[in-house]
Amino acid sequence: MEPLNDDGSMMNTSPSFNVNSIRRTVLDMAYAGSAVHVGCAFSIVELLAVLYRKHLRLDANNPNAPDRDYMVLSKGHGVMAQYACLQEVGYLDANDIARYFKDGTRLKGLADAHIPGVEVTAGSLGHGLSVGTGLALAAKLNHTDQKCFALVGDGEINEGAIWEAALFAAHFKLDNLIVIVDVNGFQAMGTTDEVMALGNIEAKFAAFGFDAVSIDGHDEAAVDAAYSHATRTPNGRPKAIVATTVKGKGVSFMEHDNRWHYTRLTAETHAAAIAELATDTPSTTPSTTP
Amino acid sequence: MRDAFSDAIVAAALADPKVLLLTGDHGYALFDPFRKARPDQYINCGIAEQNMVGVAAGLAKAGFKPIVYGLAAFVPVRVLEQIKLDVCYENLPVILIGDGAGFVYSHLGSSHQSTEDMACTRAIPALTVLSPADRFEMTATMQLALQLNAPVYLRMGKSDRGDVHTGPVTLQPGDMLRVKHGTRHGPRHLALLATGSMVKTALELSAQGLDADVWSVPSIKPLSREQLTTIAQNVDAVVTLEEHSVMGGLGAAVAEALAGIRPLPILRIGVEDRFSAFCGTWDYLLQEHGLDLAAVQQRVVRFVEGLPG
Repeated sequence: MEPLNDDGSMMNTSPSFNVNSIRRTVLDMAYAGSAVHVGCAFSIVELLAVLYRKHLRLDANNPNAPDRDYMVLSKGHGVMAQYACLQEVGYLDANDIARYFKDGTRLKGLADAHIPGVEVTAGSLGHGLSVGTGLALAAKLNHTDQKCFALVGDGEINEGAIWEAALFAAHFKLDNLIVIVDVNGFQAMGTTDEVMALGNIEAKFAAFGFDAVSIDGHDEAAVDAAYSHATRTPNGRPKAIVATTVKGKGVSFMEHDNRWHYTRLTAETHAAAIAELATDTPSTTPSTTP
Repeated sequence: MRDAFSDAIVAAALADPKVLLLTGDHGYALFDPFRKARPDQYINCGIAEQNMVGVAAGLAKAGFKPIVYGLAAFVPVRVLEQIKLDVCYENLPVILIGDGAGFVYSHLGSSHQSTEDMACTRAIPALTVLSPADRFEMTATMQLALQLNAPVYLRMGKSDRGDVHTGPVTLQPGDMLRVKHGTRHGPRHLALLATGSMVKTALELSAQGLDADVWSVPSIKPLSREQLTTIAQNVDAVVTLEEHSVMGGLGAAVAEALAGIRPLPILRIGVEDRFSAFCGTWDYLLQEHGLDLAAVQQRVVRFVEGLPG
Protein backbone atom coordinates (compact mmCIF):
# COMPACT_ATOMS: atom_id res chain seq x y z
CA MET A 1 0.00 0.00 0.00
CA GLU A 2 1.15 3.52 -0.69
CA PRO A 3 1.94 5.90 2.13
CA LEU A 4 -0.89 7.80 3.70
CA ASN A 5 -1.17 11.50 3.14
CA ASP A 6 -1.73 13.83 6.02
CA ASP A 7 -5.43 14.01 5.21
CA GLY A 8 -5.70 10.26 5.46
CA SER A 9 -5.86 9.64 1.73
CA MET A 10 -3.47 7.23 0.13
CA MET A 11 -2.00 7.98 -3.23
CA ASN A 12 0.95 6.85 -5.23
CA THR A 13 3.59 9.50 -5.27
CA SER A 14 4.48 10.16 -8.88
CA PRO A 15 1.35 11.14 -10.79
CA SER A 16 0.51 14.80 -11.19
CA PHE A 17 -2.85 14.45 -12.87
CA ASN A 18 -2.12 17.61 -14.79
CA VAL A 19 -5.25 18.66 -16.59
CA ASN A 20 -3.58 19.54 -19.89
CA SER A 21 -1.75 16.24 -19.87
CA ILE A 22 -5.02 14.40 -19.22
CA ARG A 23 -6.67 16.25 -22.11
CA ARG A 24 -3.76 15.40 -24.42
CA THR A 25 -4.15 11.74 -23.50
CA VAL A 26 -7.86 11.96 -24.28
CA LEU A 27 -7.09 13.53 -27.64
CA ASP A 28 -4.55 10.86 -28.45
CA MET A 29 -6.98 8.10 -27.53
CA ALA A 30 -9.84 9.63 -29.45
CA TYR A 31 -7.66 10.15 -32.50
CA ALA A 32 -6.15 6.67 -32.34
CA GLY A 33 -9.54 5.05 -31.97
CA SER A 34 -11.56 7.46 -34.09
CA ALA A 35 -13.70 7.79 -30.97
CA VAL A 36 -16.43 10.27 -30.11
CA HIS A 37 -17.37 11.88 -26.75
CA VAL A 38 -14.31 14.17 -26.59
CA GLY A 39 -16.36 17.12 -25.36
CA CYS A 40 -18.02 14.94 -22.70
CA ALA A 41 -14.63 13.87 -21.37
CA PHE A 42 -13.19 17.38 -21.38
CA SER A 43 -15.87 18.83 -19.12
CA ILE A 44 -14.94 16.50 -16.25
CA VAL A 45 -11.13 16.68 -16.40
CA GLU A 46 -10.61 18.98 -13.42
CA LEU A 47 -13.28 17.14 -11.42
CA LEU A 48 -11.44 13.85 -11.93
CA ALA A 49 -7.90 15.23 -11.72
CA VAL A 50 -8.40 16.76 -8.29
CA LEU A 51 -10.17 13.64 -7.09
CA TYR A 52 -7.41 11.27 -8.19
CA ARG A 53 -4.65 13.65 -7.17
CA LYS A 54 -5.77 14.22 -3.63
CA HIS A 55 -9.02 12.73 -2.44
CA LEU A 56 -9.36 9.10 -3.49
CA ARG A 57 -7.83 6.43 -1.29
CA LEU A 58 -6.56 3.87 -3.76
CA ASP A 59 -4.01 1.10 -3.73
CA ALA A 60 -1.79 1.51 -6.78
CA ASN A 61 -1.10 -2.22 -6.72
CA ASN A 62 -4.65 -3.46 -6.24
CA PRO A 63 -7.63 -1.79 -7.89
CA ASN A 64 -9.93 -4.04 -5.83
CA ALA A 65 -8.41 -3.26 -2.45
CA PRO A 66 -11.24 -3.82 0.03
CA ASP A 67 -10.64 -0.53 1.81
CA ARG A 68 -10.53 1.64 -1.30
CA ASP A 69 -12.66 4.67 -1.91
CA TYR A 70 -15.04 4.24 -4.80
CA MET A 71 -15.04 6.40 -7.91
CA VAL A 72 -18.20 5.68 -9.89
CA LEU A 73 -18.35 7.30 -13.31
CA SER A 74 -22.09 7.18 -13.76
CA LYS A 75 -21.81 9.34 -16.87
CA GLY A 76 -19.95 6.54 -18.56
CA HIS A 77 -19.45 8.37 -21.85
CA GLY A 78 -16.81 10.58 -20.24
CA VAL A 79 -14.65 7.55 -19.64
CA MET A 80 -11.64 8.66 -21.70
CA ALA A 81 -10.86 11.25 -19.02
CA GLN A 82 -10.98 8.48 -16.41
CA TYR A 83 -8.77 6.21 -18.52
CA ALA A 84 -6.17 8.99 -18.64
CA CYS A 85 -6.26 9.22 -14.84
CA LEU A 86 -6.14 5.44 -14.43
CA GLN A 87 -3.03 5.33 -16.56
CA GLU A 88 -1.40 7.72 -14.12
CA VAL A 89 -2.58 5.65 -11.18
CA GLY A 90 -0.97 2.65 -12.85
CA TYR A 91 -4.03 0.51 -13.51
CA LEU A 92 -3.76 1.04 -17.28
CA ASP A 93 -0.64 1.18 -19.38
CA ALA A 94 0.52 3.16 -22.41
CA ASN A 95 -0.41 0.31 -24.69
CA ASP A 96 -4.03 0.49 -23.52
CA ILE A 97 -4.08 4.15 -24.46
CA ALA A 98 -2.21 3.86 -27.75
CA ARG A 99 -4.32 0.96 -29.00
CA TYR A 100 -7.71 2.40 -28.03
CA PHE A 101 -10.56 0.79 -29.99
CA LYS A 102 -8.24 -1.64 -31.79
CA ASP A 103 -9.64 -5.14 -32.31
CA GLY A 104 -9.25 -7.34 -29.27
CA THR A 105 -8.38 -4.54 -26.83
CA ARG A 106 -10.09 -4.10 -23.48
CA LEU A 107 -10.97 -0.42 -23.19
CA LYS A 108 -14.45 0.33 -24.45
CA GLY A 109 -16.07 3.59 -25.37
CA LEU A 110 -18.20 3.63 -22.23
CA ALA A 111 -17.38 2.89 -18.59
CA ASP A 112 -17.07 -0.86 -18.06
CA ALA A 113 -16.65 -2.55 -14.71
CA HIS A 114 -14.28 -5.15 -16.12
CA ILE A 115 -11.60 -2.46 -16.42
CA PRO A 116 -9.34 -2.05 -13.37
CA GLY A 117 -10.37 1.08 -11.52
CA VAL A 118 -13.75 1.38 -13.21
CA GLU A 119 -16.38 0.45 -10.66
CA VAL A 120 -19.58 0.39 -12.68
CA THR A 121 -20.73 -0.40 -16.19
CA ALA A 122 -22.36 2.87 -16.97
CA GLY A 123 -22.96 3.35 -20.65
CA SER A 124 -26.65 3.13 -19.92
CA LEU A 125 -27.36 6.24 -17.89
CA GLY A 126 -28.88 6.26 -14.42
CA HIS A 127 -27.20 3.05 -13.24
CA GLY A 128 -24.02 4.23 -11.59
CA LEU A 129 -25.51 6.35 -8.83
CA SER A 130 -27.61 3.43 -7.54
CA VAL A 131 -24.63 1.07 -7.52
CA GLY A 132 -22.57 3.79 -5.85
CA THR A 133 -25.31 4.21 -3.28
CA GLY A 134 -25.05 0.49 -2.57
CA LEU A 135 -21.28 0.81 -2.17
CA ALA A 136 -21.74 3.72 0.22
CA LEU A 137 -24.30 1.73 2.20
CA ALA A 138 -21.93 -1.23 2.35
CA ALA A 139 -19.26 0.99 3.89
CA LYS A 140 -21.75 2.14 6.51
CA LEU A 141 -22.83 -1.42 7.29
CA ASN A 142 -19.18 -2.43 7.58
CA HIS A 143 -18.39 0.60 9.77
CA THR A 144 -15.53 1.68 7.51
CA ASP A 145 -14.55 5.22 6.56
CA GLN A 146 -14.76 4.53 2.82
CA LYS A 147 -16.25 7.19 0.61
CA CYS A 148 -18.05 6.87 -2.68
CA PHE A 149 -17.81 9.59 -5.30
CA ALA A 150 -20.37 9.29 -8.07
CA LEU A 151 -20.03 11.56 -11.07
CA VAL A 152 -23.27 12.04 -13.01
CA GLY A 153 -23.97 14.15 -16.06
CA ASP A 154 -26.59 16.88 -16.13
CA GLY A 155 -28.33 15.17 -19.02
CA GLU A 156 -28.13 11.92 -17.10
CA ILE A 157 -30.28 13.26 -14.29
CA ASN A 158 -33.23 13.08 -16.68
CA GLU A 159 -33.23 9.42 -15.61
CA GLY A 160 -35.72 8.60 -12.86
CA ALA A 161 -33.38 6.11 -11.23
CA ILE A 162 -31.11 9.02 -10.24
CA TRP A 163 -33.85 10.41 -8.06
CA GLU A 164 -34.70 7.00 -6.64
CA ALA A 165 -31.07 6.78 -5.56
CA ALA A 166 -31.18 10.33 -4.15
CA LEU A 167 -34.20 9.49 -1.99
CA PHE A 168 -32.50 6.32 -0.79
CA ALA A 169 -29.18 7.99 0.02
CA ALA A 170 -30.86 10.65 2.13
CA HIS A 171 -33.15 8.18 3.88
CA PHE A 172 -30.26 5.92 4.83
CA LYS A 173 -28.10 8.90 5.85
CA LEU A 174 -25.25 8.10 3.48
CA ASP A 175 -23.01 11.05 4.24
CA ASN A 176 -20.13 9.13 2.66
CA LEU A 177 -21.78 9.46 -0.76
CA ILE A 178 -20.62 12.46 -2.76
CA VAL A 179 -22.58 13.04 -5.95
CA ILE A 180 -20.79 15.26 -8.45
CA VAL A 181 -23.02 16.70 -11.15
CA ASP A 182 -21.22 17.73 -14.33
CA VAL A 183 -23.36 20.63 -15.50
CA ASN A 184 -21.95 21.24 -18.95
CA GLY A 185 -25.34 22.36 -20.15
CA PHE A 186 -25.62 19.95 -23.04
CA GLN A 187 -27.02 16.53 -23.67
CA ALA A 188 -26.98 14.47 -26.81
CA MET A 189 -29.47 16.41 -28.88
CA GLY A 190 -29.06 19.95 -27.61
CA THR A 191 -28.80 22.09 -24.52
CA THR A 192 -30.36 20.77 -21.36
CA ASP A 193 -32.72 23.74 -21.42
CA GLU A 194 -33.91 22.81 -24.89
CA VAL A 195 -34.28 19.09 -24.26
CA MET A 196 -35.45 18.77 -20.66
CA ALA A 197 -35.03 21.83 -18.50
CA LEU A 198 -33.45 20.93 -15.18
CA GLY A 199 -34.15 24.06 -13.18
CA ASN A 200 -32.06 24.61 -10.10
CA ILE A 201 -30.09 21.40 -9.66
CA GLU A 202 -28.55 22.46 -6.37
CA ALA A 203 -31.99 23.21 -4.96
CA LYS A 204 -33.31 19.90 -6.21
CA PHE A 205 -30.63 17.90 -4.43
CA ALA A 206 -31.04 20.04 -1.32
CA ALA A 207 -34.76 19.31 -1.41
CA PHE A 208 -33.94 15.61 -1.49
CA GLY A 209 -31.94 15.98 1.72
CA PHE A 210 -28.42 16.53 0.41
CA ASP A 211 -25.85 19.07 1.47
CA ALA A 212 -25.61 20.71 -1.93
CA VAL A 213 -23.14 23.28 -3.19
CA SER A 214 -22.48 24.84 -6.59
CA ILE A 215 -18.96 25.44 -7.87
CA ASP A 216 -16.98 26.19 -11.00
CA GLY A 217 -16.03 22.71 -12.12
CA HIS A 218 -12.86 23.90 -13.84
CA ASP A 219 -11.48 25.82 -10.85
CA GLU A 220 -9.23 23.23 -9.27
CA ALA A 221 -8.99 25.09 -5.98
CA ALA A 222 -12.77 25.31 -5.74
CA VAL A 223 -13.15 21.64 -6.63
CA ASP A 224 -10.56 20.71 -4.04
CA ALA A 225 -12.29 22.77 -1.37
CA ALA A 226 -15.67 21.26 -2.20
CA TYR A 227 -14.31 17.72 -1.96
CA SER A 228 -12.55 18.50 1.30
CA HIS A 229 -15.68 19.94 2.83
CA ALA A 230 -17.87 17.10 1.57
CA THR A 231 -15.61 14.42 2.93
CA ARG A 232 -15.19 16.07 6.30
CA THR A 233 -18.80 16.73 7.18
CA PRO A 234 -20.14 13.53 8.72
CA ASN A 235 -23.57 14.92 9.45
CA GLY A 236 -25.78 12.14 8.12
CA ARG A 237 -26.55 13.94 4.88
CA PRO A 238 -25.29 12.85 1.46
CA LYS A 239 -23.40 15.48 -0.51
CA ALA A 240 -24.04 16.96 -3.92
CA ILE A 241 -21.44 19.09 -5.69
CA VAL A 242 -23.06 20.81 -8.63
CA ALA A 243 -20.19 21.71 -10.91
CA THR A 244 -20.73 24.17 -13.71
CA THR A 245 -18.49 23.11 -16.57
CA VAL A 246 -17.86 23.72 -20.25
CA LYS A 247 -18.40 20.93 -22.72
CA GLY A 248 -15.18 20.63 -24.70
CA LYS A 249 -13.26 22.67 -22.10
CA GLY A 250 -9.63 23.39 -22.96
CA VAL A 251 -9.75 23.54 -26.75
CA SER A 252 -11.07 26.76 -28.21
CA PHE A 253 -12.89 25.23 -31.15
CA MET A 254 -14.55 22.56 -29.00
CA GLU A 255 -15.81 24.66 -26.11
CA HIS A 256 -19.59 25.07 -25.98
CA ASP A 257 -19.91 23.22 -29.29
CA ASN A 258 -22.08 20.14 -28.88
CA ARG A 259 -20.81 18.67 -32.14
CA TRP A 260 -17.86 17.41 -30.08
CA HIS A 261 -20.24 14.95 -28.46
CA TYR A 262 -20.12 13.09 -31.78
CA THR A 263 -17.33 14.49 -33.94
CA ARG A 264 -14.25 12.40 -34.65
CA LEU A 265 -10.82 13.99 -34.77
CA THR A 266 -8.92 14.40 -38.01
CA ALA A 267 -5.16 14.74 -38.22
CA GLU A 268 -5.65 18.48 -38.47
CA THR A 269 -8.06 18.93 -35.57
CA HIS A 270 -6.02 16.57 -33.42
CA ALA A 271 -2.85 18.56 -34.08
CA ALA A 272 -4.60 21.88 -33.52
CA ALA A 273 -6.10 20.72 -30.24
CA ILE A 274 -2.81 19.29 -29.01
CA ALA A 275 -1.13 22.59 -29.83
CA GLU A 276 -3.54 24.45 -27.57
CA LEU A 277 -2.74 22.09 -24.70
CA ALA A 278 0.96 21.69 -25.38
CA THR A 279 2.29 22.67 -21.98
CA ASP A 280 1.22 21.35 -18.64
CA THR A 281 -0.67 23.87 -16.61
CA PRO A 282 0.64 24.69 -13.17
CA SER A 283 -1.61 22.92 -10.73
CA THR A 284 -3.67 25.08 -8.45
CA THR A 285 -4.10 22.34 -5.88
CA PRO A 286 -1.11 21.30 -3.85
CA SER A 287 0.40 18.03 -4.85
CA THR A 288 0.22 15.31 -2.27
CA THR A 289 3.73 14.18 -3.11
CA PRO A 290 5.75 14.29 0.10
CA MET B 1 -44.01 -23.06 0.12
CA ARG B 2 -43.96 -19.47 1.36
CA ASP B 3 -43.09 -20.72 4.83
CA ALA B 4 -40.23 -22.68 3.28
CA PHE B 5 -39.04 -19.47 1.62
CA SER B 6 -39.26 -17.55 4.87
CA ASP B 7 -37.44 -20.32 6.72
CA ALA B 8 -34.72 -20.35 4.06
CA ILE B 9 -34.01 -16.63 4.20
CA VAL B 10 -34.08 -16.56 7.99
CA ALA B 11 -31.65 -19.49 8.16
CA ALA B 12 -29.40 -17.85 5.59
CA ALA B 13 -29.35 -14.56 7.48
CA LEU B 14 -28.66 -16.27 10.80
CA ALA B 15 -25.82 -18.27 9.26
CA ASP B 16 -24.19 -15.35 7.45
CA PRO B 17 -24.33 -11.70 8.52
CA LYS B 18 -23.48 -10.73 4.95
CA VAL B 19 -26.88 -11.96 3.76
CA LEU B 20 -29.23 -8.99 3.37
CA LEU B 21 -32.89 -8.94 2.42
CA LEU B 22 -33.90 -6.04 0.17
CA THR B 23 -37.54 -5.46 -0.66
CA GLY B 24 -39.26 -2.94 -2.86
CA ASP B 25 -41.87 -2.30 -0.16
CA HIS B 26 -43.47 -5.68 -0.74
CA GLY B 27 -43.73 -8.80 1.38
CA TYR B 28 -45.69 -7.61 4.39
CA ALA B 29 -46.20 -10.50 6.86
CA LEU B 30 -43.96 -12.81 4.82
CA PHE B 31 -40.96 -11.04 6.32
CA ASP B 32 -42.10 -10.88 9.94
CA PRO B 33 -39.89 -13.82 10.98
CA PHE B 34 -36.90 -12.33 9.12
CA ARG B 35 -37.38 -8.88 10.63
CA LYS B 36 -37.68 -10.44 14.06
CA ALA B 37 -34.60 -12.62 13.64
CA ARG B 38 -32.31 -10.17 11.86
CA PRO B 39 -33.75 -6.63 11.73
CA ASP B 40 -30.36 -5.17 10.81
CA GLN B 41 -30.18 -7.34 7.70
CA TYR B 42 -33.53 -6.16 6.38
CA ILE B 43 -33.64 -3.14 4.04
CA ASN B 44 -36.89 -1.77 2.67
CA CYS B 45 -35.74 0.11 -0.43
CA GLY B 46 -39.08 1.75 -1.05
CA ILE B 47 -41.09 1.58 -4.24
CA ALA B 48 -38.04 2.04 -6.40
CA GLU B 49 -37.01 -1.23 -7.96
CA GLN B 50 -34.38 0.11 -10.35
CA ASN B 51 -32.45 1.67 -7.51
CA MET B 52 -32.96 -1.42 -5.35
CA VAL B 53 -31.21 -3.68 -7.85
CA GLY B 54 -28.41 -1.16 -8.35
CA VAL B 55 -27.97 -0.87 -4.58
CA ALA B 56 -27.91 -4.67 -4.36
CA ALA B 57 -25.13 -4.73 -6.95
CA GLY B 58 -23.12 -2.19 -4.97
CA LEU B 59 -23.61 -4.15 -1.77
CA ALA B 60 -22.57 -7.36 -3.52
CA LYS B 61 -19.44 -5.70 -4.93
CA ALA B 62 -18.49 -4.86 -1.36
CA GLY B 63 -18.94 -8.42 -0.13
CA PHE B 64 -22.60 -8.64 0.87
CA LYS B 65 -25.04 -11.29 -0.39
CA PRO B 66 -28.29 -9.50 -1.17
CA ILE B 67 -31.59 -11.29 -1.64
CA VAL B 68 -33.77 -8.91 -3.63
CA TYR B 69 -37.49 -9.45 -3.32
CA GLY B 70 -40.22 -8.12 -5.55
CA LEU B 71 -43.26 -9.21 -7.46
CA ALA B 72 -42.25 -11.02 -10.63
CA ALA B 73 -43.90 -8.33 -12.72
CA PHE B 74 -41.33 -5.87 -11.33
CA VAL B 75 -38.37 -8.04 -10.32
CA PRO B 76 -37.15 -9.12 -12.85
CA VAL B 77 -39.24 -7.57 -15.63
CA ARG B 78 -39.15 -3.89 -14.69
CA VAL B 79 -35.46 -4.01 -13.76
CA LEU B 80 -34.13 -6.24 -16.49
CA GLU B 81 -31.41 -3.80 -17.50
CA GLN B 82 -30.13 -3.39 -13.95
CA ILE B 83 -30.05 -7.19 -13.63
CA LYS B 84 -28.15 -7.51 -16.89
CA LEU B 85 -25.59 -4.74 -16.40
CA ASP B 86 -25.25 -4.07 -12.68
CA VAL B 87 -25.54 -7.67 -11.46
CA CYS B 88 -24.88 -10.25 -14.17
CA TYR B 89 -22.16 -8.51 -16.16
CA GLU B 90 -20.07 -8.58 -13.00
CA ASN B 91 -21.33 -12.03 -11.94
CA LEU B 92 -22.32 -10.70 -8.53
CA PRO B 93 -23.94 -12.93 -5.89
CA VAL B 94 -27.41 -11.40 -5.94
CA ILE B 95 -30.50 -13.60 -5.57
CA LEU B 96 -33.56 -12.08 -7.20
CA ILE B 97 -36.94 -13.33 -6.00
CA GLY B 98 -39.93 -12.80 -8.27
CA ASP B 99 -43.04 -13.55 -6.23
CA GLY B 100 -46.56 -14.00 -7.54
CA ALA B 101 -45.38 -15.22 -10.92
CA GLY B 102 -47.93 -16.37 -13.46
CA PHE B 103 -51.53 -15.50 -12.68
CA VAL B 104 -51.28 -15.38 -8.87
CA TYR B 105 -52.54 -11.80 -8.85
CA SER B 106 -55.49 -12.86 -10.94
CA HIS B 107 -57.81 -10.09 -9.82
CA LEU B 108 -55.29 -7.29 -10.28
CA GLY B 109 -54.84 -7.50 -14.02
CA SER B 110 -51.90 -7.50 -16.36
CA SER B 111 -49.73 -5.08 -14.37
CA HIS B 112 -49.25 -7.71 -11.67
CA GLN B 113 -49.40 -10.88 -13.74
CA SER B 114 -46.11 -12.23 -15.00
CA THR B 115 -45.87 -14.71 -17.84
CA GLU B 116 -42.71 -13.44 -19.52
CA ASP B 117 -40.20 -13.36 -16.67
CA MET B 118 -38.46 -16.64 -17.48
CA ALA B 119 -38.14 -15.68 -21.14
CA CYS B 120 -36.52 -12.37 -20.17
CA THR B 121 -34.12 -13.80 -17.64
CA ARG B 122 -33.09 -16.92 -19.54
CA ALA B 123 -31.39 -14.79 -22.18
CA ILE B 124 -29.14 -12.97 -19.72
CA PRO B 125 -25.66 -14.50 -19.49
CA ALA B 126 -24.46 -15.68 -16.06
CA LEU B 127 -27.98 -15.78 -14.64
CA THR B 128 -29.34 -19.03 -13.22
CA VAL B 129 -33.15 -19.33 -13.40
CA LEU B 130 -34.97 -21.45 -10.81
CA SER B 131 -38.67 -22.27 -10.53
CA PRO B 132 -39.68 -24.41 -7.54
CA ALA B 133 -42.92 -26.39 -7.46
CA ASP B 134 -43.44 -27.05 -3.75
CA ARG B 135 -41.98 -26.43 -0.31
CA PHE B 136 -39.28 -29.09 -0.75
CA GLU B 137 -38.13 -27.59 -4.02
CA MET B 138 -38.25 -24.12 -2.48
CA THR B 139 -35.85 -25.23 0.24
CA ALA B 140 -33.58 -26.93 -2.29
CA THR B 141 -33.59 -24.06 -4.79
CA MET B 142 -32.80 -21.52 -2.06
CA GLN B 143 -29.95 -23.71 -0.82
CA LEU B 144 -28.64 -23.97 -4.36
CA ALA B 145 -29.01 -20.24 -4.96
CA LEU B 146 -27.03 -19.43 -1.83
CA GLN B 147 -24.33 -21.97 -2.68
CA LEU B 148 -23.85 -20.70 -6.23
CA ASN B 149 -22.53 -17.33 -5.06
CA ALA B 150 -23.61 -15.93 -8.43
CA PRO B 151 -26.66 -14.23 -9.94
CA VAL B 152 -29.89 -16.19 -9.56
CA TYR B 153 -33.48 -15.46 -10.48
CA LEU B 154 -35.91 -17.52 -8.42
CA ARG B 155 -39.48 -17.57 -9.66
CA MET B 156 -42.12 -18.02 -6.97
CA GLY B 157 -45.54 -18.73 -8.44
CA LYS B 158 -48.77 -20.19 -7.10
CA SER B 159 -47.68 -21.46 -3.73
CA ASP B 160 -50.61 -23.37 -2.27
CA ARG B 161 -51.00 -26.31 -4.63
CA GLY B 162 -49.49 -28.77 -2.17
CA ASP B 163 -46.51 -31.07 -2.34
CA VAL B 164 -45.28 -32.82 -5.45
CA HIS B 165 -42.50 -34.60 -3.57
CA THR B 166 -42.88 -36.88 -0.57
CA GLY B 167 -39.94 -35.38 1.29
CA PRO B 168 -36.85 -33.20 1.02
CA VAL B 169 -34.99 -33.15 -2.29
CA THR B 170 -31.45 -32.21 -3.22
CA LEU B 171 -30.66 -30.18 -6.28
CA GLN B 172 -27.68 -29.46 -8.48
CA PRO B 173 -27.78 -26.89 -11.28
CA GLY B 174 -29.75 -28.30 -14.19
CA ASP B 175 -31.34 -31.17 -12.30
CA MET B 176 -34.78 -32.38 -13.29
CA LEU B 177 -36.60 -34.35 -10.63
CA ARG B 178 -38.77 -37.32 -11.58
CA VAL B 179 -41.98 -37.24 -9.56
CA LYS B 180 -43.69 -40.20 -11.26
CA HIS B 181 -42.68 -43.22 -13.35
CA GLY B 182 -44.81 -44.13 -16.34
CA THR B 183 -45.78 -47.73 -17.05
CA ARG B 184 -44.61 -47.82 -20.65
CA HIS B 185 -47.30 -50.23 -21.70
CA GLY B 186 -47.92 -48.81 -25.15
CA PRO B 187 -46.18 -47.35 -28.19
CA ARG B 188 -46.83 -43.75 -27.25
CA HIS B 189 -44.83 -43.18 -24.13
CA LEU B 190 -44.63 -39.60 -22.94
CA ALA B 191 -42.49 -37.47 -20.71
CA LEU B 192 -44.32 -34.62 -19.02
CA LEU B 193 -41.89 -31.87 -18.10
CA ALA B 194 -43.49 -29.26 -15.89
CA THR B 195 -42.40 -26.42 -13.68
CA GLY B 196 -43.85 -24.46 -10.77
CA SER B 197 -47.58 -24.70 -10.28
CA MET B 198 -48.05 -26.93 -13.32
CA VAL B 199 -46.14 -29.87 -11.83
CA LYS B 200 -49.26 -30.59 -9.79
CA THR B 201 -51.33 -30.43 -12.96
CA ALA B 202 -48.94 -32.85 -14.67
CA LEU B 203 -49.32 -35.29 -11.78
CA GLU B 204 -53.11 -34.98 -11.91
CA LEU B 205 -52.97 -35.61 -15.63
CA SER B 206 -50.87 -38.73 -15.24
CA ALA B 207 -53.22 -40.02 -12.54
CA GLN B 208 -55.97 -40.13 -15.12
CA GLY B 209 -54.51 -43.01 -17.06
CA LEU B 210 -51.89 -41.26 -19.12
CA ASP B 211 -48.76 -43.35 -19.63
CA ALA B 212 -46.10 -40.81 -18.82
CA ASP B 213 -43.05 -40.12 -16.74
CA VAL B 214 -43.57 -36.87 -14.89
CA TRP B 215 -40.62 -34.62 -14.23
CA SER B 216 -40.47 -31.45 -12.24
CA VAL B 217 -38.06 -28.90 -13.68
CA PRO B 218 -36.96 -26.51 -10.93
CA SER B 219 -33.84 -25.46 -12.83
CA ILE B 220 -34.95 -23.71 -16.00
CA LYS B 221 -31.43 -22.51 -16.72
CA PRO B 222 -29.27 -24.45 -16.86
CA LEU B 223 -31.15 -27.52 -18.02
CA SER B 224 -29.34 -30.82 -17.74
CA ARG B 225 -28.42 -31.89 -21.26
CA GLU B 226 -27.54 -35.35 -19.96
CA GLN B 227 -30.91 -35.87 -18.37
CA LEU B 228 -32.72 -34.55 -21.42
CA THR B 229 -30.73 -36.93 -23.59
CA THR B 230 -31.72 -39.87 -21.41
CA ILE B 231 -35.35 -38.81 -21.35
CA ALA B 232 -35.42 -38.35 -25.12
CA GLN B 233 -34.05 -41.85 -25.65
CA ASN B 234 -36.85 -43.39 -23.60
CA VAL B 235 -39.96 -41.58 -24.80
CA ASP B 236 -41.85 -41.03 -28.03
CA ALA B 237 -42.91 -37.48 -27.32
CA VAL B 238 -42.59 -34.71 -24.78
CA VAL B 239 -45.17 -32.41 -23.23
CA THR B 240 -44.10 -29.30 -21.35
CA LEU B 241 -46.35 -27.45 -18.93
CA GLU B 242 -45.82 -24.03 -17.41
CA GLU B 243 -47.75 -21.04 -16.12
CA HIS B 244 -45.72 -18.81 -18.39
CA SER B 245 -45.65 -17.87 -22.05
CA VAL B 246 -44.94 -20.72 -24.44
CA MET B 247 -42.27 -18.39 -25.80
CA GLY B 248 -38.99 -18.37 -23.98
CA GLY B 249 -39.84 -20.44 -20.92
CA LEU B 250 -39.60 -24.12 -20.08
CA GLY B 251 -41.20 -25.33 -23.31
CA ALA B 252 -38.91 -23.21 -25.39
CA ALA B 253 -35.85 -24.28 -23.42
CA VAL B 254 -36.72 -27.96 -23.82
CA ALA B 255 -37.47 -27.56 -27.53
CA GLU B 256 -34.20 -25.71 -28.10
CA ALA B 257 -32.23 -28.39 -26.32
CA LEU B 258 -33.98 -31.38 -27.85
CA ALA B 259 -33.57 -29.95 -31.34
CA GLY B 260 -29.88 -30.58 -30.90
CA ILE B 261 -30.22 -33.94 -29.15
CA ARG B 262 -33.06 -35.97 -30.62
CA PRO B 263 -35.87 -34.08 -32.30
CA LEU B 264 -39.15 -35.37 -30.91
CA PRO B 265 -42.76 -34.23 -31.17
CA ILE B 266 -43.18 -31.63 -28.41
CA LEU B 267 -46.44 -30.19 -27.15
CA ARG B 268 -45.76 -26.93 -25.35
CA ILE B 269 -48.58 -26.09 -22.97
CA GLY B 270 -48.43 -22.62 -21.50
CA VAL B 271 -49.76 -19.14 -22.02
CA GLU B 272 -50.24 -18.34 -25.67
CA ASP B 273 -49.11 -14.97 -27.04
CA ARG B 274 -51.75 -12.90 -25.26
CA PHE B 275 -52.67 -11.04 -22.09
CA SER B 276 -55.50 -12.01 -19.75
CA ALA B 277 -58.77 -10.56 -20.98
CA PHE B 278 -60.84 -10.92 -17.83
CA CYS B 279 -60.79 -10.65 -14.07
CA GLY B 280 -61.39 -13.65 -11.83
CA THR B 281 -59.87 -16.25 -9.57
CA TRP B 282 -56.61 -18.01 -10.35
CA ASP B 283 -58.63 -21.07 -11.37
CA TYR B 284 -60.76 -18.91 -13.64
CA LEU B 285 -57.75 -17.39 -15.38
CA LEU B 286 -56.23 -20.81 -15.90
CA GLN B 287 -59.42 -21.76 -17.69
CA GLU B 288 -59.29 -18.58 -19.75
CA HIS B 289 -55.81 -19.54 -20.89
CA GLY B 290 -56.59 -23.22 -21.39
CA LEU B 291 -54.37 -24.32 -18.54
CA ASP B 292 -56.98 -25.99 -16.33
CA LEU B 293 -56.80 -29.76 -16.00
CA ALA B 294 -59.70 -30.50 -18.37
CA ALA B 295 -58.32 -28.32 -21.15
CA VAL B 296 -54.80 -29.62 -20.72
CA GLN B 297 -56.04 -33.20 -20.75
CA GLN B 298 -57.96 -32.59 -23.96
CA ARG B 299 -54.90 -31.15 -25.69
CA VAL B 300 -52.63 -33.94 -24.54
CA VAL B 301 -55.07 -36.65 -25.66
CA ARG B 302 -55.35 -35.03 -29.07
CA PHE B 303 -51.56 -34.73 -29.26
CA VAL B 304 -51.07 -38.39 -28.36
CA GLU B 305 -53.64 -39.48 -30.92
CA GLY B 306 -51.73 -37.61 -33.57
CA LEU B 307 -48.46 -39.31 -32.80
CA PRO B 308 -47.23 -42.02 -35.14
CA GLY B 309 -48.17 -45.27 -33.51
